[in-house]
Amino acid sequence: MLALEARDLTVSARIGEATVPAIRGLSFALAPGKILGLVGESGAGKTMIGRAIAQLLPAGFAITAGSLLFEGEDLLTMTAARRRALLGRAIAFIPQAPMTALNPVLTIGAQFDEHLSRLGLKSRKERRDRAVAVLTAARLPHADDLLTQYPHQLSGGMCQRVLIALAFAGNPRLIIADEPTTALDVTMHPPILRLVAEMQRQHGTAVIFITHDLRLAAQLCDDVIVMYAGRAVESGPARTVFAMPAHPYTRCLQLANPAMSAERRTLYVLPDQMPGLMQLAHIAGCHFAPRCPLVTAECRREEPAQIVVAPSHTAACIRAAATASICATGGEFNVPAASAAPLLRVENLSKHFITSRGPFSRAHNVAAVKDVSFTIAENEFVALVGESGSGKSTVAKLLVGLEQPSSGRIVFDGADLTAPSLRRRAWRAGSLQMVFQDPQSALNPRRRIASIVTQAMEAGSRPASMEERLKRTKELLAEVGLPADIAARLPGQLSGGQRQRVNIARALCRVPKVLVADEIVSGLDVSIQAQLLNLLARLRLELGFAMLFISHDLSVVRQLCSRVLVMYRGEIVEEGPVEKVFGNPQHPHTQALLSSVPPDEADKEWPLLQAN
Amino acid sequence: MLAIVAKLVARRLLAAIPILLVVSALLFCVLRLLPVDPAAMSLPTTATIAEIEAKRREMGLDRPLPEQYVIWLSDALHGNFGRSIQFGREAGSLVAATLPATIQLAGAAMVLAAIFGLGGGLLLFHLRGTWFEAVADFVSILLLSIPEFLWGLILLFVFGVALQVLPFTGAVSPNLPQPHVTGFLLIDALLVGRLDVFASACRHLILPALALGLAFSPAIMRVLRSSLFDVYHEDYIQQARLRGLPERQILLGHALKNAALPTLTLAGVQFGILFSGTLLVEVIYSYPGMGNLMVDAVRNADLPLIQAIGLTYCVAVLLINTVVDSLYVVLNPKLRVG
Repeated sequence: MLALEARDLTVSARIGEATVPAIRGLSFALAPGKILGLVGESGAGKTMIGRAIAQLLPAGFAITAGSLLFEGEDLLTMTAARRRALLGRAIAFIPQAPMTALNPVLTIGAQFDEHLSRLGLKSRKERRDRAVAVLTAARLPHADDLLTQYPHQLSGGMCQRVLIALAFAGNPRLIIADEPTTALDVTMHPPILRLVAEMQRQHGTAVIFITHDLRLAAQLCDDVIVMYAGRAVESGPARTVFAMPAHPYTRCLQLANPAMSAERRTLYVLPDQMPGLMQLAHIAGCHFAPRCPLVTAECRREEPAQIVVAPSHTAACIRAAATASICATGGEFNVPAASAAPLLRVENLSKHFITSRGPFSRAHNVAAVKDVSFTIAENEFVALVGESGSGKSTVAKLLVGLEQPSSGRIVFDGADLTAPSLRRRAWRAGSLQMVFQDPQSALNPRRRIASIVTQAMEAGSRPASMEERLKRTKELLAEVGLPADIAARLPGQLSGGQRQRVNIARALCRVPKVLVADEIVSGLDVSIQAQLLNLLARLRLELGFAMLFISHDLSVVRQLCSRVLVMYRGEIVEEGPVEKVFGNPQHPHTQALLSSVPPDEADKEWPLLQAN
Repeated sequence: MLAIVAKLVARRLLAAIPILLVVSALLFCVLRLLPVDPAAMSLPTTATIAEIEAKRREMGLDRPLPEQYVIWLSDALHGNFGRSIQFGREAGSLVAATLPATIQLAGAAMVLAAIFGLGGGLLLFHLRGTWFEAVADFVSILLLSIPEFLWGLILLFVFGVALQVLPFTGAVSPNLPQPHVTGFLLIDALLVGRLDVFASACRHLILPALALGLAFSPAIMRVLRSSLFDVYHEDYIQQARLRGLPERQILLGHALKNAALPTLTLAGVQFGILFSGTLLVEVIYSYPGMGNLMVDAVRNADLPLIQAIGLTYCVAVLLINTVVDSLYVVLNPKLRVG
């Protein structure tokens, strides 16, 4: 009997008067002990499927057609009590954001106790022993102590292990894991994924694994379904889909993802973005047609049926045969030679934070950045990589003057930026600019885009006139590839990718010599990320600027930068040309970072995922 | 955890010193600006100007104001607030005699406010998305706009005058004796074994405590409800549902504890105001507490007594805030564990 089977599942959303399907005609079959990957960008409807299984859809969404059979029993028609009895026992969930998925005011022990007593363990001692056993199985040392601790005392990776232990505690037959590593540091990805895979093998559990990363799905899953705008556009054995994508969207996604081993090339750019629920109603025929490089008139006529391209490999595309012909255009990736003379020189930079809790506690001195030295040449893109908390963002803030260094010097174009003087600061703003991580909070929600991107023109003795600013806005928006009519809008009316472009445009307003970019593509979908990476490469050719590119994503770093600095616990532990450092990493932390990226090739094993 | 609470209390008490200094200085200066002459008031109306002058010198009123303040402060620090002009007794001992009654009233009112606030908040939250929600919302806003003295009058007329089911003057029936051991009437009645006195005191406490409790619970109610709404958007609530926990257990076992934290912050402020709110309610119910004493003192421009009571109110509010903040530390593990 199948663990889970979906037959023509349709989830609809009520938006105003209209009913728009968020998931359309989804069918799949998941056998016991198998892993099914649901792959797609945000908004594709992946998460909605997990929610549909628990019947906990967001307000306004409802399942309007089809059936969802758990071991032959329809989850949609069974009573709420029966369904609740299955949840936590036969069906369990591993969440996306482990830090917020545990109740902050209850100890880990209390949360286990509650769950295990629901599972029917009568005595307190029994429940405690069981909790210790499952926590130990989840490779959490000192499980005894852990039970008395609160979630905020644990790291993100530990929280996720606790949640995985909770999920497997009831010996479930089905687990839904929704991007279980996305919120964690890259070095935590392989161990967490390995844990899920191990537990899955031991318990013989069927798993639905939701992810945006096709590479990862290829390594972990038996089968994958690629979702686009609420529809399964391709499905088949994971490695086959990865090696020979049959749907143009899958192929484009792959080409948009920067490679770790292959030659550097211009990333394939899918135009625009995935249509939102409201736009879907206005697209006739194949929903991917507006962005598809293979589109023909026939595609726009009617929605394509699932076509079998190989045994158990289907794609919803009438042009599937031509998919392999799609390739990235734009020729080779052009990296201008960096001049030898350093433009920015950072010498023995340190930053200590003093945390004091009032007159009764001793002040703690925390070193966020320890004795960091590096240089950036004109037109050079230098990457700064490391885990969260390694001090990357502090370096960025020190460079642009948002924090003052405890010691050390920042020499820019021969001038010492650490010398305190207001004029220097204004001058620094003109030549060093920062692009912030979160485009949402980096833009003042009450300002029009035109006023945001030309913010820099408000400074100085003579503020620019409105005409000057509007003229500059037009130029900047054109440079970052945004339509001119955006100038009059507010940030809230833009998409995430558009906001990040506005963010970049703002930093470019006075054509800085150095751009400090702090994880500017980390929250974005692959296709949007490719657009931005290509944009930065093009802008460098057109305008000429250097960049310190802070990131945890090594494939992005490899795509964009020529030199890399690896930061670990406030220190730079390794540096050098990207090809050299990535090809032959010396420091254990660099090695750990590198091995946490799943391989590009389908036939290559990911050693970290294998059981040891 | 005890160490952290002790640290917090110590820090609060230290911070209270400058606050009390400022409040006492304000009290002192403002009262001296009043067009009343304590010397003249403490003498019979037949006193001559020379006698008043002599009295002024005796009371130290001829010295510069800052010097008078320092003298008064150092006396106050020794527990000597001066002699009440109207009663001729130590102001400090007058406060000490009435303070227990006020604490008893405020304490009962806080318990009622907490119960109504908690229950009402849960009820409001429970009614979300139903037809009753709008009604409950309207009622809670209506309640929010009724101040404690208005409740006092409403309850007095309904239950005291119209229905005549509850007494509404004094702390205990006048024909019963008032035992005096600790000063807290309810406790003393039990200590001497007079259950009839205890019952009567309880009945007398109901209306004033209810007036205060009703006035101060709606804000708690509404904050609890909106905190619950916020908490229900958190991942761990969704995750508890996905583990199959019943809704009641999610509400009481997971959401309520989290929602209690912001609610507690507000309750601290509310209880501070509640304590000063006892003043008007005591007057309405002729309740023999500090509030009635204060009104007497103000009416007779009894400066030493006003100062003593004013400072006592200030200390009480600071203490209540300290207690509530300590409770916050106890409930919030992020503050409790290093």
